[in-house]
Amino acid sequence: MQTKILLDEEQIPKKWYNVQADLKSPLDPPLHPKTQKPIGPADLSAIFPMELIRQEVTTDRHIDIPEDVRDVLRLWRPSPLYRAHRLEKFLKTPAKIYYKWEGVSPAGSHKPNTAVPQAYYNMKAGVERIATETGAGQWGSALAFATMLYDLECTIYMVRSSYTQKPYRKSMMRVWGAECIPSPSTKTNAGRAMLEKDPDTPGSLGMAISEAVEDAASHSNTNYALGSVLNHVCLHQTVIGLECREQLAMVDEYPDVVIGCVGGGSNFAGISFPFAGDKLTGKHKDVDIIGVEPASCPTLTKGLFTYDLADEAGYTPLLKMFTLGHDFVPPAMHAGGLRYHGDSPIVSRLVNDGVMRAVAYHQSEVFDAAQTFARTEGIIVAPETSHAVKSAIDEALACKKTGETKTILFNCSGHGNFDMSAYDAYYAKELVDYEYPDELIKESLARIPKIS
Amino acid sequence: MKKIGFLINPIAGMGGAVGLKGTDGKLSEATVRGAVPQAENRAKITLQALKNKQNLIFLSPSGRMGEDALKETVRERIQVVSHPVNDSTAQDTKIAAQRFIEEGVDLILFCGGDGTARDIFDVVGRNVPILGIPAGVKMYSGVFAIDPATAAELVSGDENVVLRDSEVMDVDEDAYRAGELKTHLYGIARVPSLEGKTQFSKQIFEEADEDRAKEEIGRFIEEVMLPDTLYILGAGTTTEFIARSVGVRKTLLGVDVIKNRKIVAQDADEKTLLYLIEKEKDVRIIVSPIGAQGFILGRGNQQISSQVVSHVGIKKIIVVATPHKLRETPVLYVDSGDPVLDREFGDSVQVISGYRIAQRKKIHQP
Repeated sequence: MQTKILLDEEQIPKKWYNVQADLKSPLDPPLHPKTQKPIGPADLSAIFPMELIRQEVTTDRHIDIPEDVRDVLRLWRPSPLYRAHRLEKFLKTPAKIYYKWEGVSPAGSHKPNTAVPQAYYNMKAGVERIATETGAGQWGSALAFATMLYDLECTIYMVRSSYTQKPYRKSMMRVWGAECIPSPSTKTNAGRAMLEKDPDTPGSLGMAISEAVEDAASHSNTNYALGSVLNHVCLHQTVIGLECREQLAMVDEYPDVVIGCVGGGSNFAGISFPFAGDKLTGKHKDVDIIGVEPASCPTLTKGLFTYDLADEAGYTPLLKMFTLGHDFVPPAMHAGGLRYHGDSPIVSRLVNDGVMRAVAYHQSEVFDAAQTFARTEGIIVAPETSHAVKSAIDEALACKKTGETKTILFNCSGHGNFDMSAYDAYYAKELVDYEYPDELIKESLARIPKIS
Repeated sequence: MKKIGFLINPIAGMGGAVGLKGTDGKLSEATVRGAVPQAENRAKITLQALKNKQNLIFLSPSGRMGEDALKETVRERIQVVSHPVNDSTAQDTKIAAQRFIEEGVDLILFCGGDGTARDIFDVVGRNVPILGIPAGVKMYSGVFAIDPATAAELVSGDENVVLRDSEVMDVDEDAYRAGELKTHLYGIARVPSLEGKTQFSKQIFEEADEDRAKEEIGRFIEEVMLPDTLYILGAGTTTEFIARSVGVRKTLLGVDVIKNRKIVAQDADEKTLLYLIEKEKDVRIIVSPIGAQGFILGRGNQQISSQVVSHVGIKKIIVVATPHKLRETPVLYVDSGDPVLDREFGDSVQVISGYRIAQRKKIHQP
């Protein structure tokens, strides 16, 4: 009874897969927030190195992973693929459940998969410092680790509610030599304006992005890095799905269902894009690809597919994506990494085209699932990841009803070792089942994002 | 030094144990049936926990209405401010409350039930915070601590204690004895409440400030309000904030009706509501759970009767409440007077708790 399916280090993918190559028509271009005209590489060069700008827009199907980057990835890649025998047995399902375990990276999640190449390309371009934002702290700690490898300075604006909630993520950033500041802060114009408007704000990813972008734009030695949403970030994460496809092939499997949780969309993109490519090119037309989001921030299931800003203050380009409006501050639920008003434009497009679909769950039911997972497979997952676990369990239970023997694959994107206060709240029955009042919003005109 | 006005309604709760559903005007019958005074014992639990708090001075009526219990527990820092004639009537309670105001107390701590709360509130209104040690037969008001020990925590509490709005409910005792619960929202008192009891501070940001939460709810409802639609606003401070954000003044305790940001009716009764909705195409009802138990309908909002609700439609009800209120009331109740209609609410309801934020809350279904 094989449990772990492992690849050799040499089997770390040599190329990223770019799903843009297989879209039937190009993505709608990002627009300049002021002129609302498509932006060009020059507009982005103030805050991104040219190679990442190229990766953002290219429609080449494969992009080489630099050997220097692959050497760093060897620290934790290829990550193991597990067959969840114990979970299957507990659920008494005829389905086969596989999960890709990304918690083996130094930062404990999938985030270093893109933090490393982003830091690398910035170092190559002669950048000395990187500014970024982080929600729950997964991305911030990953970038702190990656910038340390290349001797770059790193400043991280961390959403205030998480900054107080997750002190150990902050400590990790410090160990790896980065500076972590609660956002909104008094360091930027955007932060000061937000604090003036509302001194008690819990902060949001949108606000923190504004601060980091402003920091990068106003310091010539500094670039900006984003941990999700953008095309090049999703691209870097495709190592996850590419490895999965190899690993499953080793046991003569191909997934019927592919699942990932969705905040900005990068871990979901990572596991699903290679399979979405198979679907788009007709190799595997029937693969069911599911993005799982919180009911409190249900961007894909309840949002509008339209142009909106990626940040709060309006520094970023307008992206065509599913959005709840850039002025929406999601409630402070425990899966802080899923508190984002928008979504990756590629994921949005694929959902809109019906290549993928989305489901949403309440907070307490995903923790039920996380507990089941911990008590069968042993791993205590991050609150974000528990959304994917919940969906995988539901799919497996559906198979139990129909008797189908589907192969279910989900991305187990990170561990919850720094999220134990969330589990404590779960056991104290203090989790609030937030949801998005979409019906009230839908019938009014309020849901159309106001772009000022 | 903190001045605490303290009083006990010594007979509170006596009627309950012997099946009288309330003690007002029924004391001799309760005594004949063998009822034993309990309130003083409940109060002593609280006082015992406060006896070493050197910064507290207790002002109280003489004898059984407070002085006796204080002398047995706190022993010192006691000041008698009134002398009850019968030591159980509403009049004695009101006189004591009046004396507390004259002496400038910081908080009134009382031991009793809904009747006691109502009598004190009658005199002090929102000028002085009040806090109940639960001892009565009926406690539908939100002014009571969960138990006597928690009451002590709230009295001695330091910077973690904040003042919140809580409903004082008026229960019709005669109707109650006849098996019918008729409650009215009598007033909104100010009550001390422990801030962030939870260690898991995720929610603290949005719960830190009750008024902030009400403003957020108001801002959201204002944003989604539709033109040419009639809105029936139930009683309470949260709905009052909604009216405020639309730019109209609402009665605090009544049911008001607005349309196109203008008041159509104030303090409307059931008949007026039925008349108004008769000719409207689209009507919405906005209510907030009322009372300690969290009733969406049937407490303090009786004007919004089952007939009104049936006419408007259950789906057109918007429930609003602050995160704090929702944390205190894990389950919500509906008692429209029509059990069939109550069941139509199902097992859960969406409650608007912030700007574009809602919570899914369980509804108690018998």
